[in-house]
Amino acid sequence: MTDAYVIGAGQSDFGSFPGESYRSLFADAFDETLESVDGDFATAEIDEAFLGTLGVGGRQLGLSGPAVTEHLGLHGIPTTRVENACAASGYALRQAVMAVKSGMVDVALAGGYEIMTDMSGDHTKWWLGVSGETEWERLSGTTFAGVYAQMASAYLREYDATVEDLSRVAVKNHGNGAQNPHAQLGFECTLEDAMNAPDVAAPLNLYHCCPTTDGASAVLVANEAVAKEFSDEPVRVAGAGAASGRVGLFQRDSLTGIPASETAAERAYEDAGISPDDLDFAEVHDCFAIAELAAYEDLGFCDRGEAARLLREGETDPDGRLPVNTSGGLKSKGHPIGATGTGQVVEAYSQLRGEAHVQVDDPEVGLTHNVGGSGGGVTVHVFERVDGGEL
Amino acid sequence: MSSERGIVATGLYVPRQRLSGDEIQAAWGTSAPVDQAAVPTADEDTLTMSVAAGRKALANADLDAAAVSHLAVATTTPPLEEEEFAPRIGAALGTSSELTTETATQSTAAGAEALLSGADADGTALVIVADAPDGDPAEAGQRLGAGAAAFVFDEGGDAKVIDSAQRSRDAPGIRFREGGSHSVTGLDITTYERQMIRELVSAAVEGLSIDHEAVDAVSLYQPTGGLPHRIARSLPYGGGAVGSGIVVDDIGDAGAATTAIGLLAALAASEPGSLTVVGFFGSGASAVALAFESPAELDVDLDAALAGGEQISYAEALRERGTIGSAEVAGGGAHVSLPSWQRTLPQRYRLEAGRCPECGAVAFPPEGACPDCHERVTFETESLARTGEIVAVTVIGQGGAPPEFVELQRRDGPFAVAIVEVETTGERDGTARFPVQLTDCDPEDVSVGDEVAGRFRRIYSVEGVTRYGLKFVPEQR
Repeated sequence: MTDAYVIGAGQSDFGSFPGESYRSLFADAFDETLESVDGDFATAEIDEAFLGTLGVGGRQLGLSGPAVTEHLGLHGIPTTRVENACAASGYALRQAVMAVKSGMVDVALAGGYEIMTDMSGDHTKWWLGVSGETEWERLSGTTFAGVYAQMASAYLREYDATVEDLSRVAVKNHGNGAQNPHAQLGFECTLEDAMNAPDVAAPLNLYHCCPTTDGASAVLVANEAVAKEFSDEPVRVAGAGAASGRVGLFQRDSLTGIPASETAAERAYEDAGISPDDLDFAEVHDCFAIAELAAYEDLGFCDRGEAARLLREGETDPDGRLPVNTSGGLKSKGHPIGATGTGQVVEAYSQLRGEAHVQVDDPEVGLTHNVGGSGGGVTVHVFERVDGGEL
Repeated sequence: MSSERGIVATGLYVPRQRLSGDEIQAAWGTSAPVDQAAVPTADEDTLTMSVAAGRKALANADLDAAAVSHLAVATTTPPLEEEEFAPRIGAALGTSSELTTETATQSTAAGAEALLSGADADGTALVIVADAPDGDPAEAGQRLGAGAAAFVFDEGGDAKVIDSAQRSRDAPGIRFREGGSHSVTGLDITTYERQMIRELVSAAVEGLSIDHEAVDAVSLYQPTGGLPHRIARSLPYGGGAVGSGIVVDDIGDAGAATTAIGLLAALAASEPGSLTVVGFFGSGASAVALAFESPAELDVDLDAALAGGEQISYAEALRERGTIGSAEVAGGGAHVSLPSWQRTLPQRYRLEAGRCPECGAVAFPPEGACPDCHERVTFETESLARTGEIVAVTVIGQGGAPPEFVELQRRDGPFAVAIVEVETTGERDGTARFPVQLTDCDPEDVSVGDEVAGRFRRIYSVEGVTRYGLKFVPEQR
């Protein structure tokens, strides 16, 4: 069985682009991906595509994947649209890795796209709640922010953490995102800004919530032979883990963490043969500030209840022990639902090749963590630097 | 009429919010027709109020709803103009499917019809009179309120109906609502109205073959506090007896329910062995009088429901009633088909849970694989307490509600949504969690660890159908 390698990754600008379509934004991401490949790579090398989207707004609800690949001139290649809410493209990447590792394809395109900001307020409200558990959670009147806010209420009650710690997530991630030209909210914010914003769903305020975003991202996954041919510095997919959980928060044992994240991480670490201590950086799913705190614990960066301490002590700052969300995270970079998972890989690819906007010092191993809904589906991928000529 | 049957227990429900006469006066610059009026919360209607009063009466009678064999309900404002609503009251209370039902409507005298139906029935009968009329805020709307009274009739009950009498006459224009309208109105021909009402009600009361000297307390038709005294001028009752049955200055003119709630007050005021009389009036017009004999004191839980309450501003009252703030939301809401909703009614109305026969875990809702051992099992039925503890909570601020809750939020304001943990009520221990919306509280005032109790309310409406279920209310701390 061959290993799977990332030989290119790119994204469109993340932001609000009412003049664009999901196809045109994906074309931007695809172009940047092709540019990121070291060698003279022709699109005819791509055998198959796995594209993630929730399909916010309805639009081309059926067959949007083929609509995208045909738009790009990838004529005739098999294309699967993957839907797992916010983890859609994390799962698309998983499909691509499986396809390559199985030997069925040599090169697979994984990616995602979402258009979220061109709808009326009413339609937006409708669509933002579709990934919560519908029959009970949604019909108790809660929103997506509301579910994570419930998680935050339980977390703040259970552990020695405060609203200020939630705000620290925003301060750190905005600090990173301010360096990322693709970021939607690429500006710095102070702790005071992040404490005094209006509530969205108490205890979460505006700075504890990611924005709605238009955007696309793409990753080229290749087998060893292709990686050797086209890449000077390919990035090895060292570990892939994924897990499902009950869709509703109320249905799960833990209100303060995401069990599927824990399981997916354990599987990814085992697959990669590493432990969390081996990580040099991580891109985690910070759709809401509480999600980043929970991720530290679910992914084994620290013990239960210790996440706030990590933040306070700067351990996840770019110069800390384990930098988290150097891209700006979902909070600052933006969260175009279906594009987020492979968008995280764009940062991992850049970091491991020494090309990141907020570059971590000589990283060898990094992780991406992509959560669907409030924890119904999670992927974790571990990436490893392949030093020149090693292949 | 079986002489052995009587009222075993009663229940009273009045919406929490009250609009004071001062607020009405300040809004319109005229003196208010009532001291205060009860204002239903945006998620309340006569169905939810009926369930609330019915539950209290059954609890006071120490009866399980399954024991009820006849349900008679009366209102002038059923949630829909056509569609039975008694079966849904029964389902919410947990009555058996063999229940017989009777609905009286179209007149403020409907309560008398329901009371007589309960008194005449065989077996345990539950009678509920609930109303929440609406009217032009500048006219009838100034006095309109809401409330519900419930009565359990059974063999050996204390307060027996010993006689009844009806009088009717063609007398239009006094109080009416045109087809398709929610607005109660009248021609306001003061002398004509007062004379018709007084003559008809006093004729019905005089038609009772009872010893009027033995009457201790009376509840008479009361759109305002002054009218019962006018009616009583030609009756042999003193001001004290008439006053004991006046509740309109506490709850407002609650249509068919005011006279019935007044009956609760009158029964409470009657000495054991004395008589209590109620005189209903229905415009059109008819009057029905009933006489009760109570050998023992009837325990009527009056003060808790009548007193209390929370004063709201005039603007808030207009919002809660939906006079302003109603909304059509483009794009619709979450689509849960009616049959899928219907399948979950035992859970949504009565928190029916499941017990895994393999591992003993509690499942709510009881469907799919066991949440603990993940085996595909057939769950045993398990019941859950209607009180529990908040384990997670947030506030959905004004403007942030999902589309299906936009109108509720415009009318009732920001609301809290919580995950509640409740215990099983059977012999076997266990807990279940589920998400709920909180109501009748300041959402900012709720936190993890608070105790809450279930209330049957309107959840949301889609495609013209209102879906009901349990919301939760913080318990007094």
